[in-house]
Amino acid sequence: MNIIIKRSKTMAKQIWPSVLAIFFALLLSGFLLFATGHNPLRAYARLFDGAFGNLNRFAETLVKTIPILIIALGTSVAFKCKLWNIGGNGQYTVGAIAAVAVAVYVPLPYFIRIPLSLVASIVAGMIIGGGVGLLRAKMNANEVITTLMFNYIIMYFLSWLVNGPMMDPEGFGFPQTQLIPDQMKLQSIIPGTRLHFGLFLALIIVVVAFIFWKTRTGFRISLVGESHEVAQASGVSVQKHIVLTMMISAALPAIAGWIDVFGIHGRLQENLPGELGTIAIVVALLGGLNPIGIVFASLFFSALVVGGSTMQRFEGVPYSLVGIIQGLVIVFVICRVVYEEFKEKRRVKQLVH
Amino acid sequence: MYLLWIELSRVGTMFNFMTEKAIKEAGKVIEKPLVQMIQIKKTFSGIPANDCVDFTLKEGSVHGLLGENGAGKTTLMNILFGLYEPDSGKVLIKGEPVKIHSPLDAMNLKIGMVHQHFMLVKTLTVTENIMLGIKSTRTPFLDTRMIRNRIIELSGKYGLDIDPDAKIWQLSVGQQQRVEILTAIFKGADILILDEPTAVLTPGESEDLFSILRELRNSGIGIILISHKLEEILAIADEVTILRNGVKTGETLVTPSTTKQELTRMMVGRDVLFNFTGKDVNIGKECLSLDHLCAIDDRGVQVLQDVSFSIKDGEILGLAGVDGNGQKELCQILTGLRKTTGGTIHLYDQDLLTMTPKQCIDNKIFHIPEDRQKSGLIMDWDVQKNLILKNYDSKSISGRFCLSEQRIGEQADTMIQEYNIKTPGREEVVKKLSGGNQQKIILAREMEGDPELLIASHPTRGLDIGAMEYVRQRILDQKANGAAILLVSADLEEIFQLSDRIAVIYNGRIMGIVSPDAGISKIGMLMAGIMETENVGVDA
Repeated sequence: MNIIIKRSKTMAKQIWPSVLAIFFALLLSGFLLFATGHNPLRAYARLFDGAFGNLNRFAETLVKTIPILIIALGTSVAFKCKLWNIGGNGQYTVGAIAAVAVAVYVPLPYFIRIPLSLVASIVAGMIIGGGVGLLRAKMNANEVITTLMFNYIIMYFLSWLVNGPMMDPEGFGFPQTQLIPDQMKLQSIIPGTRLHFGLFLALIIVVVAFIFWKTRTGFRISLVGESHEVAQASGVSVQKHIVLTMMISAALPAIAGWIDVFGIHGRLQENLPGELGTIAIVVALLGGLNPIGIVFASLFFSALVVGGSTMQRFEGVPYSLVGIIQGLVIVFVICRVVYEEFKEKRRVKQLVH
Repeated sequence: MYLLWIELSRVGTMFNFMTEKAIKEAGKVIEKPLVQMIQIKKTFSGIPANDCVDFTLKEGSVHGLLGENGAGKTTLMNILFGLYEPDSGKVLIKGEPVKIHSPLDAMNLKIGMVHQHFMLVKTLTVTENIMLGIKSTRTPFLDTRMIRNRIIELSGKYGLDIDPDAKIWQLSVGQQQRVEILTAIFKGADILILDEPTAVLTPGESEDLFSILRELRNSGIGIILISHKLEEILAIADEVTILRNGVKTGETLVTPSTTKQELTRMMVGRDVLFNFTGKDVNIGKECLSLDHLCAIDDRGVQVLQDVSFSIKDGEILGLAGVDGNGQKELCQILTGLRKTTGGTIHLYDQDLLTMTPKQCIDNKIFHIPEDRQKSGLIMDWDVQKNLILKNYDSKSISGRFCLSEQRIGEQADTMIQEYNIKTPGREEVVKKLSGGNQQKIILAREMEGDPELLIASHPTRGLDIGAMEYVRQRILDQKANGAAILLVSADLEEIFQLSDRIAVIYNGRIMGIVSPDAGISKIGMLMAGIMETENVGVDA
């Protein structure tokens, strides 16, 4: 009993700052709504209704949650190692490209082609991540820049593919590929909605991530993140673990890309990931890099995105407000980090004097 | 042993007395010193870093501030430069009492400081860097040309040899340091503090630096040189103040007759504090043997040269030496963290040079690192997680896939009790514990692995007396368990108390391996790099 109370206390301690960040972000956006002549409460109610109002809307929110959740989990692995993987978009795209390439062009039975395409996606993500990791480990190339640049390389690569070699021959010149065979698509869980079996895959990944941080490899990665020097002295190879971390961190967004292709899109189009990568970074931070926290954070953000468009339609509130709320959440999350550093400095100062 | 120490402290007192006289005489000639710091006191979390320290800098002289790491040299100078405020004590600049609250105040009083880590903008040129923080005479425009000319003029005057148009990143470390010096002079500093300036320099660059310092001194600038290197002090300083554990232990004029031994003695000698049990242990077979080991450091300078010694089971070999003579690199090599350039090392029959850090741990080589906060502990993690850093993958902690939280907790509880770690609980963050308790966490972690070879680097540095005694007793317990121990320390008292044999390292070479009976003066001489023909290497 005691343990349960203690556990929930520490949990509350971890969740509290994120809840506060969201609260202040909504409060400040509320003022903004008020100032522009909208009723903030009605707008928020509409937003909530748009995201959770009926089964169909809730299903749509969940559909959007799946990729955000998985990309954020991947990002969090790198963040735990103090590596800033902001290439979620690129890695997602690479996974989607590999998925479609196998699904459309490999003439094998479906039951082999489906797992094969998943493996291809994972491998594609790992190659990108491993490359970034190697550049970082061997040549100290800043991973922020390399992952960001890879986003552009992959974005234009996709653009070339759908306009060139992978273009649908019967698509009237639209920049898109053929649809994957219908039999290969992920079936929907609730008939009539777009919610598909990818949800279960996402939940499995959450559980794996949760367990991962308790394994030896997970421990080593967080050790490397805390201090290279101590990690080395404890017999952990820093370079090896940087590469490994980036591989895992890039493989997850690639899986998200696979799921979206097989669950929703069914084909490649230009700019497939949209703003998923950026949202996932915020989600990872808001969730405190904790798999469970990330589940709730991704649900919140996907609700914002889905509910936001309803809000626009019915209340005339521009969709860009969703971007403002996102931005404010980031600002408040950062405020918290700064505040804690400030508190720490003051504590040290008091000790000194 | 006791007699030796008493004799030593007597010599020390006589010496102090002589110095005072010398200073009084010198004081007659020059009336107002540039800097006077009187009875400076500064305490960090209960441990005094400066305890009633007096310091005087005269015009046109180089004043060495000598002491081991953690002796309080940098603290004292940070007080002078306004980075810390003293708990008590007075600071006088040119005879005027002043309060220095910030580096800005210090600069207005014409005090300049060259830090170990340079404060330069790498992508800007020398001129642009020096312009930063100087008010232009023709605002809003910059007077680049005037400043550039002045740089050339000053650079020529003091032999700094600086190209005002070079970008900082294009310059060598030595040149960057000269830019820092130039910046200080440019702002009109007549008191210049240099914090361990040669630590980042190659020997050639150090020579250049010294000739520049001589030029500056001759033009009337007072220079404070923080250092723990004796040769430097003897080569360049006119006077020297010695600190040990926050207390001033001596002040003297540097004359050609000043010897390194005198300085060493004031730097590291101390009265005996405790008596220990467990020194008499049967010494077993050879555990570690080094043969003609050579290595270079990160700058590519030779740091270890033909180092040979061996340690047997149940033996403590003390490695005495002033900091920075190759001890750190030797410890890195023994734990698999640094490559060598020559020689062999064997642990029993195995070749240690081919081992990774992980294999070293698996072969039960454990290390109490010199800088516990940086390389020994994760300060943001709790006690229990810090305790498993070396054995997290052993059967006692982790199962097939996962670490067992229960077993981590059990191990932590046992260790906290066994090693008397004072903490509110096993989930307390390590940075909230005192230095002594942090060190106990490392001891528990490294000693529970039952070491074959234990490397203890400055194990009691910065600890209070109680913790010091505890750590030393624990090291002796390991000896009784049959571990071979390499005790790296600059604290001669510690070396004498614990060691069976003492190896002295100087400039990367083993000057000699002697028995503790050889006496303090002999070790002091070897530490200062003075080799005598007789009696060296008795025990090797």
